[in-house]
Amino acid sequence: MQSQRIDELPGITSQLAFEVEDLTVAYHSKPALWDVDLDVPQGVLMAIVGPNGAGKSTLIKAALGLIPRAAGEARFFGTTYGKARSRVGYVPQRGSVDWDFPTTVLDVVMMGRYGEIGWFKHPTDRDRAAALQALHQVGLSEFAQRQISQLSGGQQQRTFLARALVQDADLYFMDEPFAAVDAVTERAIVELLRTLRERDKTVIVVHHDLQTVPEYFDWVALLNVEMIASGPIETTFTEDNLRAAYGGRVSAIGAGRSV
Amino acid sequence: MQLIESLLVQLLTRFVSPDTLNAALTDPRTVAVIVGVLVATSSALLGGFMLLRKMALTTDAISHTILLGIVSSFLFMAFVLGIAPDLASPWLIIGAALAGVATVVLTEAIQRSGLVKGDAALGLAFPLLFAIGVLLVARFTSQIHLDADSVLVGEIGLAWTNTNSYCLENCDSITITPEDPRAETARVCTNCQTESISPRSPNAVFEMTCANCGTYTAAEAWRARLIAEPPQLVYLPKAISTMGVITLINLLFVLLFYKELKLATFDRALALSLGFRPGWLHYTLMILVSVTAVGAFDAVGSILVVAFFVIPAAAAYLLTDRLWVMLLIAPAIGAVGAYTGYDLARGSLFGIVQMNDVLAFLDRTIGLGGYIQWDSSISAAMVLTTFTLFVIVWVVAPQRGLISTLLRRRWQREQFAAQVLLGHLHNHMGANERHEREVSTLHEHLRWTPRRVFWTLTRLRASDLVDVEDGLARLTERGRASLIEFREQNLATP
Amino acid sequence: MSDQVSGVRYQPEPRTKASSIITRYSFLSREWLRIAALAVVFLLLIPLSALAFGVEWTHTLRTVALGGGILGLVTGALGSFAVLRQEGLLGDALSHAALPGIAIAFLISGRELTALLIGAGIAGWLGVLLVRAIVSTTRIKQDAAMAIVLSSFFAFGLALLAYIQGRDDASQAGLKSFIFGQAAAIVERDVWTIGLVGGAALLLMLVFWKEFKLITFDMAFARANGIPTRTLDLILSTLIVVAIVLGLQLAGVILMVGLLIAPAVAARQWTRKLEQMVVLAAIFGAASGASGAVVSAIDAGMPTGPLIIVAAVLIAFLSLAFAPERGIVWSQLKQRADRRAFAAQTMMRDLYRHCCSHDNMSQPTDEAMLVKLRGAAARAGLRDLAREGLAVMEAGTTQWRLTPDGVLAAAQIADNGTRQTREIRPVVITTVEA
Repeated sequence: MQSQRIDELPGITSQLAFEVEDLTVAYHSKPALWDVDLDVPQGVLMAIVGPNGAGKSTLIKAALGLIPRAAGEARFFGTTYGKARSRVGYVPQRGSVDWDFPTTVLDVVMMGRYGEIGWFKHPTDRDRAAALQALHQVGLSEFAQRQISQLSGGQQQRTFLARALVQDADLYFMDEPFAAVDAVTERAIVELLRTLRERDKTVIVVHHDLQTVPEYFDWVALLNVEMIASGPIETTFTEDNLRAAYGGRVSAIGAGRSV
Repeated sequence: MQLIESLLVQLLTRFVSPDTLNAALTDPRTVAVIVGVLVATSSALLGGFMLLRKMALTTDAISHTILLGIVSSFLFMAFVLGIAPDLASPWLIIGAALAGVATVVLTEAIQRSGLVKGDAALGLAFPLLFAIGVLLVARFTSQIHLDADSVLVGEIGLAWTNTNSYCLENCDSITITPEDPRAETARVCTNCQTESISPRSPNAVFEMTCANCGTYTAAEAWRARLIAEPPQLVYLPKAISTMGVITLINLLFVLLFYKELKLATFDRALALSLGFRPGWLHYTLMILVSVTAVGAFDAVGSILVVAFFVIPAAAAYLLTDRLWVMLLIAPAIGAVGAYTGYDLARGSLFGIVQMNDVLAFLDRTIGLGGYIQWDSSISAAMVLTTFTLFVIVWVVAPQRGLISTLLRRRWQREQFAAQVLLGHLHNHMGANERHEREVSTLHEHLRWTPRRVFWTLTRLRASDLVDVEDGLARLTERGRASLIEFREQNLATP
Repeated sequence: MSDQVSGVRYQPEPRTKASSIITRYSFLSREWLRIAALAVVFLLLIPLSALAFGVEWTHTLRTVALGGGILGLVTGALGSFAVLRQEGLLGDALSHAALPGIAIAFLISGRELTALLIGAGIAGWLGVLLVRAIVSTTRIKQDAAMAIVLSSFFAFGLALLAYIQGRDDASQAGLKSFIFGQAAAIVERDVWTIGLVGGAALLLMLVFWKEFKLITFDMAFARANGIPTRTLDLILSTLIVVAIVLGLQLAGVILMVGLLIAPAVAARQWTRKLEQMVVLAAIFGAASGASGAVVSAIDAGMPTGPLIIVAAVLIAFLSLAFAPERGIVWSQLKQRADRRAFAAQTMMRDLYRHCCSHDNMSQPTDEAMLVKLRGAAARAGLRDLAREGLAVMEAGTTQWRLTPDGVLAAAQIADNGTRQTREIRPVVITTVEA
């Protein structure tokens, strides 16, 4: 397993945004993730790629405690998820939700604040303003009162993004945000990612399209049940690593920037 | 129908004497069991497909909405045809079939609107149709003699009373004319009374009357002692003939269309593209389900119908991977359930436990007001025994049963844990990583409980996959081989 | 987001006292007024129709109507969550499974409503647990598991009822009413029980409103945000069980599922907010419950369940058909209007192309040719254009040509190619201020 030694890179703060050690997840007898290690420094835009069934979504879900782990642990800014929760935002897959639910776009975004609001209290003006602002960021201000069933795929994705943004986190996990969105939304999401990175946020994205990895991201993790390689694009997104991850089913892909 | 019944009687009497047959067919237990077995068989044959098509709840819905079909048929018979409604009429079949199809059509229409998600459409359609049925029954009680009980549980215990009789010998009706030696003739004075004259008077008018002339059926003739030999009658409960025919029809359907049904159930699109008519099969299946339900309705009521459609099929589903085996096992399970069900209703659970004893025990513990006589609805009991059989299968089925599954999963977890530990040892073979292999701290590195570490390590050492020396664990040759084999089977890179 | 990152600062609306009051009470919008109107109409219908039928509004009738209304209200409101979680038919399994619980509770403590309800609840819960157990441990799918539990528990209940009947116990007559519902059996003391239990359930629903909303919509996100989803799921499921158990007296075991699903389905068609949906479902449920109860009290022999279900499902069907925006009738009309608009536009384009390819602005086109080309819709499209003054038919002929206005409009569209869709170009902010 080849991963970049963190302390060798210049300008990286010593605390890692996200660390995974020995993470193993099993469905009955088949391992979905096996002995996975990953170190992600702050302020990077990382793509997690791998073939189907490689465990990319599973990695995020297991780290966030959404599915049980067979072994290993995940750390967020040096502590457990429970303690770091307010600094972590999660954008799940679009298909995990019933979009015919009777609610508006603004409502969905405000749901991102429920963790903050706590029990028994109702959303206040401040929450509403934060939600409107997040919608503004993703360009859906005029859709605030729209029923979510009337949204296109790209608009749904941007609603989910706004919901994560409203939490004002430092670390974001996104599960296939680019899946089946139109070109305009794709550009919009990339812009958003860049902006987040400029503000020193860390974003980890499960991505399915190898072609765009070098263009959109600066770090990458190659996963196929095990962690094949992770690190900056220049050194990690190589043909050898890709072949190892995809089992030789990958035709020559331009490995991003020339080495 | 009568033709079929008489053929059946002819067939049966070839093997069994009419007296034995009658003795059997007038025994409530035998009849109830036979009817139950027939219901179970006919239902289970279709139930297998309904289960696989994920239409189990549709079966439940149909078994309720046939009430509306029956009621509609009754009303049709009473008001349009002007005949007395009768549960044996063929109109019932038509009404039931229509109701069944209507249920499915209505549900699909609601689903097509796209405004109702998932199965909720069924939860709108069948309550409405069933409610209308119940309201009609309540409104037209004079014309429709159905009460809530019989709707739900039927009267299988009384199935033996509702019979058609068939005559085997000495069946001829006789006609007694005045000339017949058996005729009771007499000369009677017709005007003696009215004219108040004596019979001996010359004005008296006499007439020959016959007290017992006329036409008699064989049974009547026998009763009037006009013939020497009684007619040989066989009493065939209607429920048996009805359910028998339905069972045959279902059997024929399944046999004839086996491969089409199999294909349409598994891959509807492929069936369409190959030119079969999955839609036609779909609706025919619904119609047969409705017909079976209504056929069984009178005897066993609607709840038993559903249970016999789904429960045996589900149990069979857990026992085999082959469709044709499933279609063999399901009716068998249903039949056993029917057979033992009767006994349960009469007080004996599988011959092992006596219900009255159970009641006596409960009376002592929680107090039942002294009522310790068990006597219950036969149909309900049949469902319960069938359900018990399902639970037994669920638990002990080889491979798919609970016990096997739990054991298998535990074994898999152990294997997994072993491999995780092996992998961990393998990854930390380096000289500067010895602390990672210290037995006493392994649980910290792996984030396991010390207990889990202990047992996994013990098992690994017992299988000679791991050695422990000076408090450090390391892989043996066999351990390394095991690890490689696991990786080859499960992971991308060996 | 535009192509370049803009430094425009997001300006939140000026927060005056008035505007914040307005936002806080924005629920007094037109939609809520519509719902309030519906509520008044429906709930007044019941006493009014009773009076219309010449029925005396006795104390018993009031009690029954109240009981039925409260039951319907609770079932309708909580049924919304069941339907949104796609657990409507699970409610069917639950209600059938409750029957043996009722029978056993009766054996233990007689016809005591609270005991019967608790028995029903426990049995129902066991049924649901069994369904989940079957689904999670075998390859049997949920619908079959529900059918198994449904029929066997129900049979068990019927067997127990048959046994109880044999006891010749006068008080067991009320048990039968749980099969088809018999609201007329509700006495005043029952109304208190129902009111308290139902009220408590609704209160819990309000207290955990936003959490229930979240876990129904996106359970994974909720869990990732630290919300204890398992506990909340348990509470919500228990509330649904309570709703079903309460509703059993109204609708009976077999038909209960209709009362759970129909008001929620009906309500869904009228609104796009969960709050409104739940309130509407409560209203529809209350109306069905009360009216059904009243009708059955009038005719003592009639079971309540079927009446209520017919009312509730009819409301649902009417909603599915006629609700604005979602309703079938509505969307058919809209489709037709859209087709008409599209036909008009197509006609305009055709006329333009014909006229300009002939280099003569006033070159007319024959209507018959257009109909042949585009079908019968052409005629309607041309009429629409005529009405808007964009095209005109030459007198005495069937030739159509564009008016000068029409030419302008057509030219605009032709220049821009296909129909324009407004694309929102969002702006990225550089600083964040709450």
